[in-house]
Amino acid sequence: MGYLFISPWLIGFLVFTLAPFVTSIWLSFNRWNIVTAPVWVGAANYRALVANDALFWKSLFITLKYAAVAVPMGVVAGVLLALLLNCNVRGIAVYRTVLFLPSIVPAVASSVVFVWILNPQIGLVNALLKRLGIIGPAWLADTKWAFSSLVLMSLWGVGGSMVIYLAGLKDIPVYLYEAAIVDGAGPFVRMRKITLPMLTPVIFFNLVMGVIGAFQYFTQAFIMTNGGPEESTTFYALYLFNRAWRYMDMGYASAMAWILFLIVVVITALLFRTQRKWVHYGG
Amino acid sequence: MDQPKSVWIGRVFVAALIVFVAVFWTSQLRAQYTHHARKHVRFWHMWTAEWKDVVDKIVDRFNKSQDEYEVEALSVPSSGDSKFILGVLGGDPPDVMAQWSPIIPPWADANLLRPLDELMSPEEKRLFDTEAYPVVKKLGTYKGRLYGLTTGINMWAIYYLPDQLRKAGIDPDHLPNTLEGLFEVSQKLNRFDKQGNLVHLGWAPDNIQMFTPIFGGSMYDRAHSRLTIDKPENLRALTFLVEARKRLGFENVVKYTSGLDMNSASGGWPFIGGAYTFTVDGQWRVEQLRKYAPELEYRTIAVPAPVGGRSAAGWSNGNFMIVPRGAKEAKGAWEFIKFWSGLTNPNRAAEFYTWGGWLPLTPEITRSPIYQAYLRKYPQFKTFVDLMPSENMEVLPPVPFQQYLSDQIGKMEDSAVRGTLTPKKAIEGLQTAVDQEVSRRKELGYAQ
Repeated sequence: MGYLFISPWLIGFLVFTLAPFVTSIWLSFNRWNIVTAPVWVGAANYRALVANDALFWKSLFITLKYAAVAVPMGVVAGVLLALLLNCNVRGIAVYRTVLFLPSIVPAVASSVVFVWILNPQIGLVNALLKRLGIIGPAWLADTKWAFSSLVLMSLWGVGGSMVIYLAGLKDIPVYLYEAAIVDGAGPFVRMRKITLPMLTPVIFFNLVMGVIGAFQYFTQAFIMTNGGPEESTTFYALYLFNRAWRYMDMGYASAMAWILFLIVVVITALLFRTQRKWVHYGG
Repeated sequence: MDQPKSVWIGRVFVAALIVFVAVFWTSQLRAQYTHHARKHVRFWHMWTAEWKDVVDKIVDRFNKSQDEYEVEALSVPSSGDSKFILGVLGGDPPDVMAQWSPIIPPWADANLLRPLDELMSPEEKRLFDTEAYPVVKKLGTYKGRLYGLTTGINMWAIYYLPDQLRKAGIDPDHLPNTLEGLFEVSQKLNRFDKQGNLVHLGWAPDNIQMFTPIFGGSMYDRAHSRLTIDKPENLRALTFLVEARKRLGFENVVKYTSGLDMNSASGGWPFIGGAYTFTVDGQWRVEQLRKYAPELEYRTIAVPAPVGGRSAAGWSNGNFMIVPRGAKEAKGAWEFIKFWSGLTNPNRAAEFYTWGGWLPLTPEITRSPIYQAYLRKYPQFKTFVDLMPSENMEVLPPVPFQQYLSDQIGKMEDSAVRGTLTPKKAIEGLQTAVDQEVSRRKELGYAQ
């Protein structure tokens, strides 16, 4: 009877998640243009990716760079905002709401807004910079700035993780601070010795989720730059999408997806290994 | 537990609503066809807004002319390509579709398309082979078979604003007849502010695919069916574009144009507002200018040849009709294609071409009284029609990885005009990317 009740979910999982997941392993060893029947090519897709596709390596590097820069930046910004919003000041609920709101704006909508904000000629950012006497760059249209623009834009959605950090901060027992104050610890020491260590499980969670999210980064690059200029924002997932649907090469794209999956698994496993050294689970 | 009466009334109301919506919807589905006794032809296209109205008018004319077929038009503006593929794979494709994406080689190789010459009578085939403009044949043909029949090919030429020239002391009636000379004139109209930022643009030529044929080059050798990326003429064309951009400042043009809606299909097109004096654009702008800026004085000329280059040359793409494999009414689809394109009745179809501001399929259509009247009314359009008979018009190389090639050509030009790579290095980079793709496809066993 229990299975009957969860059958809608079970069927959905089997048909829309597990089946495509397993099928994609088989497809990654096939040549398949979506239209004709798949043809077994062994490891040729993987060989071609590694040995004969410069854009594969370039897109992987761009994605790694994004994960290495945007994820730590998001963690720092999220923790700092959570610390600020943990203060007892008048109207704090309003501040929390205002800072959380951007994270629930759909990625497509915020991407379109940022295209305008970052427009070099008529955009808000360059208009503000101009008032300060600075001539802003061409942002998304500039090869040197497009990647950085997307990294900066990633902070727009930091409100989601901020709420989790805030919940983590609320969870730190007050008696720890009381004991520290009695021992004569100042605010900086309390932050370093109590707040941050007690927050590490939440930081770890957001770090893992952030890294996984970074490797799947797609929507903003697809809408705002479409991989350009000069492939400077061709993220792995965008290149994978193009291979699958633009160039109709689903077998090749499946091989890319599996390489991505393995990379994410390895990095996540490495993060889990390191947690013993820096994540504190209290008692 | 007994439910309150109001809950039951609510449930009955919801059930009745669902039944009503279902009945209404299915009756609407049936009502799409007015002549139930006729064979129904499903036509998909990607036009919207006022263009969709023109399409509906042509479909209406076809349906009135018929007693055997009835065409039902459906606009699929977003993801039309993937809907088409899924339709064919699912065994329920449209009977005919109007396309403009570079899909003929990959879809023909994937057996998604039915060659139109299979549907043509010998007389129709002869008519097409002898009458159609050369560029029409280039665009629709792949590996010797006709897969797409154009109903509106695109040509590019120079649009310019005589008034801005007069104000700069340049006689618009006596412009230089070489590309180099014309470019020099255009640069006299650039204006910069104190910081060196561009505030008015004379002309920033772009689109390497447009300029390679003008410089005598080509990306494809049709005689030997092979790509010819590293031709010296192609390098000359790219060098011209890069040098032009260098004079304006690489970043300057990017910044200036980023504030302009270059693709605007309405009155927001920056040319109308005078943001630049010269631009290379398609024939559809004539219709746009008629609608949104009827008072604007503008002229069109073919891009002049550079010294040692080719005249009446350039690049072309356009709208074409395809028939999918598995189309249930392929014969009806072909009747509709013939009707619209004017292959067998040029005088009748000439009117359709004028409705959309489209370029004709054959010289017969061009010569028709209706089309001639249109050209007299809009002399700027004649510039584009005059390019049609030219053998120097090129299309995107018909290779199976056409979309990939198109993307890589765009990337190569981008890298060169930004100054990241020298023109020579950019061309070499394109060659390397194409070689890698060919080798990758060979290793995977794809069609070459």
